[in-house]
Amino acid sequence: MNLADLFIMAIVYNQMLSSAITTQIKSYFNFFAPGLAVTGLFASAFMIGREINMERRREVHHYMLSLPMTRLELAVGRVLSGGLRGIIYMSPLLLTCFAFLGVPNVWQLLLIVGVLFLLAIGISGLSIAIAVSTSSLEKFITARGLVYYALFFCSSVFYPLSLIQQLGQEGKFPMPLVVLAEINPLSSASDMIRAFLLGTPAFSVNMILSVAIFSVIFTFSAAFAYIKIIERK
Amino acid sequence: MTALTNKLFLVVERDIRLFFQYKFLIIMRGIWFVSQIVLFGLIASRMVSVTDYFQYYVAGLSVMMLYSTALFIGFDIYEEAEHGVFEYLLSLPVSRRQLVLGRSIGGGLRAFIYVGPLIGVALYVIGAVNPLNFLIAFFTLFLFAFGVSGMSITIAVIIKSSDRFDILMGVLDALIVRLSTAMYPLAIVQQANPFYGGLTQLNPVSFASDLFRWGTGLEAIISLNNPLAPLLGIVAFFSFFTFVGIIIYDKRIEGGGWQ
Repeated sequence: MNLADLFIMAIVYNQMLSSAITTQIKSYFNFFAPGLAVTGLFASAFMIGREINMERRREVHHYMLSLPMTRLELAVGRVLSGGLRGIIYMSPLLLTCFAFLGVPNVWQLLLIVGVLFLLAIGISGLSIAIAVSTSSLEKFITARGLVYYALFFCSSVFYPLSLIQQLGQEGKFPMPLVVLAEINPLSSASDMIRAFLLGTPAFSVNMILSVAIFSVIFTFSAAFAYIKIIERK
Repeated sequence: MTALTNKLFLVVERDIRLFFQYKFLIIMRGIWFVSQIVLFGLIASRMVSVTDYFQYYVAGLSVMMLYSTALFIGFDIYEEAEHGVFEYLLSLPVSRRQLVLGRSIGGGLRAFIYVGPLIGVALYVIGAVNPLNFLIAFFTLFLFAFGVSGMSITIAVIIKSSDRFDILMGVLDALIVRLSTAMYPLAIVQQANPFYGGLTQLNPVSFASDLFRWGTGLEAIISLNNPLAPLLGIVAFFSFFTFVGIIIYDKRIEGGGWQ
């Protein structure tokens, strides 16, 4: 599905871009390719939450607690494994992106991989935090749907951030959602890859900071919530 | 005759009841639909040069929703095969043909019941309806939903492997929806890639999307001069997967072999 988005939807959208947007992003295909890698990362890193929600409902945590490791090791391990799975799934999408947009230099590549790994851990943590806070599959899936679409669509994954900001200034888009799009780590990660591969938008340290803050908050809150929930009688 | 109709009705009723037990699916799809309209549709319409793209997209979204909901019946069949319910269904005093016809109708009808209110939302957003055209379009959407449901059942009983079915449906969903006029006008797809344009032209999702827009008075955007061609396309799609589906289902239903 991810590749169909790139090789069909993005190619067709290329033909539909308004002249104002064309001057800004030139090619929708090139613009969307980094966003696609980030959406793939998000979807795969988020999957750990469903498993943990299921384990919670089936009370598999008794087995988990019997394993020869500390609670903290177990909790942080789950967050890291969710993130790693995201990175593994996203790698072919990122390589496809490099194949069409060009390869970054070594430092840029390291930075991209590092930031994406931080993002994957943060997403995995967010997913685990939601999974342990919801008692049924329906509630988890509803919460997941809300988070998924809010973070996907209120970001610069599919369209330039300036477009959302412009709609906000015109009063056609709620300002809280505009702010969400600006601080959204998916926007930061997509724009950072674009900055290195396409030259626009300009690279800013805030892109890394946004992802790092998101990652730290959700890694620790997920680990804490996970420890609490598995110890509950 | 009445007994036969009653049996068919029971099969249809069962599938409708079954669907509304999937609360999570209903919630998830609802959230998807609303967020596609108020977030993606609104912002993307500012990005493109197509006139009234927001209304265009909302109409296409309704058809995409109908398509993906009608497909779900195939997954039900695997669920039943996995839990041994399939054998129970075969033991009921209902003929094989009644069973598959009932399931095809039930699959399409439940999709329609679910998507109906969302189509209402779409109509509110689009804001214009030509009553006669809309009735014709609405009828073809029914046929489309039954056809998709029949297609899902046919593929499920041919493949008999839930993993392969899952993968094939994922691929089909990605290709059928994207290579259709649900998200973009045909002329633009043809301009982007003539091969994609050729496939888009023959896609039942394109037929349903164009007819729905025609029925809602958005034909200026799609420049649909003759609604008869997509109408015939939908009828052919429905007939093939409902009636050929019955024959295939009849032949493949016995003997187990579900994976």
